[in-house]
Amino acid sequence: MRNLIQFLKKFRTFLVFFVLQVFVLTLFFNSKDYHRSKMTNTSSSIIGWFVEKKHNIDKHFSLSEANERLMDHNAALLSQQPNSFYVLQGDTYYVNDTLKKEQFKYIPATVINSSSTRRDNYFTLNKGAAQGIEIGMGVIADDGVIGIVTDVSNHYAIVMTILTEKSNINVKLLKNNEYWFLTWDGKDNAYAQIDAVKRDISIEIGDHVVTRGGGTQFPEGIAVGTIAEVLSKDGEQTIGLNIKLDVNYNAVYHVYVVKNLMRNEQLELEQGYFGDE
Amino acid sequence: MNNTWVKYGAYFILIVLIQGLVVNNFQFSMYINPMIYPVMILMLPFELNILITMLVAFVLGISVDAFSNTFGLNASAALVIGYLRPTVLNIIKPRDGYDPVLLPSIHDMGKLWFLTYAAVLLFIHHLWFFIIEVLRFDQIGQILLKTIISLTFSLFLIILFQYIFYKPSKK
Repeated sequence: MRNLIQFLKKFRTFLVFFVLQVFVLTLFFNSKDYHRSKMTNTSSSIIGWFVEKKHNIDKHFSLSEANERLMDHNAALLSQQPNSFYVLQGDTYYVNDTLKKEQFKYIPATVINSSSTRRDNYFTLNKGAAQGIEIGMGVIADDGVIGIVTDVSNHYAIVMTILTEKSNINVKLLKNNEYWFLTWDGKDNAYAQIDAVKRDISIEIGDHVVTRGGGTQFPEGIAVGTIAEVLSKDGEQTIGLNIKLDVNYNAVYHVYVVKNLMRNEQLELEQGYFGDE
Repeated sequence: MNNTWVKYGAYFILIVLIQGLVVNNFQFSMYINPMIYPVMILMLPFELNILITMLVAFVLGISVDAFSNTFGLNASAALVIGYLRPTVLNIIKPRDGYDPVLLPSIHDMGKLWFLTYAAVLLFIHHLWFFIIEVLRFDQIGQILLKTIISLTFSLFLIILFQYIFYKPSKK
C-alpha cells in the first residue's frame, strides 16, 4: 500500500496529464460522430456573440462578390417565373395544386464563421432553433451542397460540411442514377472522393454528380460536383472517383437550410427497417 | 501577486480572442494553419508549478476549441506542451540557471535562446496537433509538411506578438 502511494506521488504529474489527455481526446473523437458531439462550440451564446461581432466587421469585405452571386441566382429564378414565358396557348390555367404537395422549405442564413482548411470543417450560421432550424437538416448554397446541421442553439447553428471525415452524403450520378456515398480524404478542399465504384459503369470525366435525395436532408438533384479523375488500381475490383466540388468552400456566404416537411413521417416509417439513422 | 494574476488573465483573454477571431481566418491553403495561442504557455514564469501550467494549457485549449469547432484537439496539443515545458526548459538551461525576475521572452532571454525554446515546443505542439487531426499513417508526409509550414507562420506571429505586447522585465 505504501509503495502504491509512493508510486502515485512520483507519477502524479503524469497521471494528471494522462487523465486530462484521455478526456479531451474522447471529446475530440466523439465529435466526429455526428450524434455525440456535445462540447462547447461556436453555437453557444457567448462565443456566438463574439463571432457575430467579428462577422459584422468582415462581412463588408465580401459583399460585392456575394451580391453578384445573388444577382445571378435571382436572374436564374426570374427566368423561370410564369410571367417570363410567352403564352402560346390562351387557355392555360392555374389550379391550386392537389397533385403536388410542398415538401421542402428553405430558410436563408448567413455563414458567420467557417473553416475550410482543417481535417474537419464546420460552419456557424446566424440562425438557430428560434428560426426553425433542427439537428439533421441539410444545408445548401446557390451552387451546391454544403452539409448537415449537427448542433443548434437558440440563435446559431453548426453545420458539418462535406469536408469532414464522416460526412457521408448520399450522391448519385446524374445520367444513370447510380448511387454512392461521398467522402473526403482531407487532402484538398476542392475535391471529394467516392470509393468502391463498380468497374462496369460507364463513367466519363465531367459527368455531373448530384444529391440522391433518399435521405431526409436534401431534395433530389442538388449539385455536388463533376467527376474530375478516375482512380483505378490494377487488380482491384472497384475504382475510386475524384469529384471536383461545385462549391468553393473558401467563399461561402449565403446558404439555405433545407426544411423537409415530411421528415418525421419518413423517419417514423423507416425506423423499423433501417435502425436508428 | 494579485497584479500578476490580473495581468496573465488579461493576456489570456487577449490571446484567445486574437486566435479565435483573427488568426483562425488565415485560411490560404490546407498547409497553412498558424496558431498564436501557444505563446500563452510559452510566456508563463520559469518556476511555475507543472500542474498549474497544465491547468492553464487545458483551459486555454478548450477556449480556443470553442472558437474553432475543434472539440478538444487544441486542448490536447496544448496539454502536451504544458506537460513537456519544464523538461525542455531544463534541457536548454543557461549555465547559471534562470533568473526568476526574468520571463522566457525574446527581450529577456535573447533571440537565439527564445527561437530554440519556441521552435522546439511549437514543433511538438504542431506535430501532435496534425497527427491527431489526420490520424492516417499513409499521409505522414503531408502531416510533416503541414507541421513545418504552419510552424514557420506560428513562430512569426508569436515573435510579432511579443514585440507588440511585451516589454523587457526590469532588472
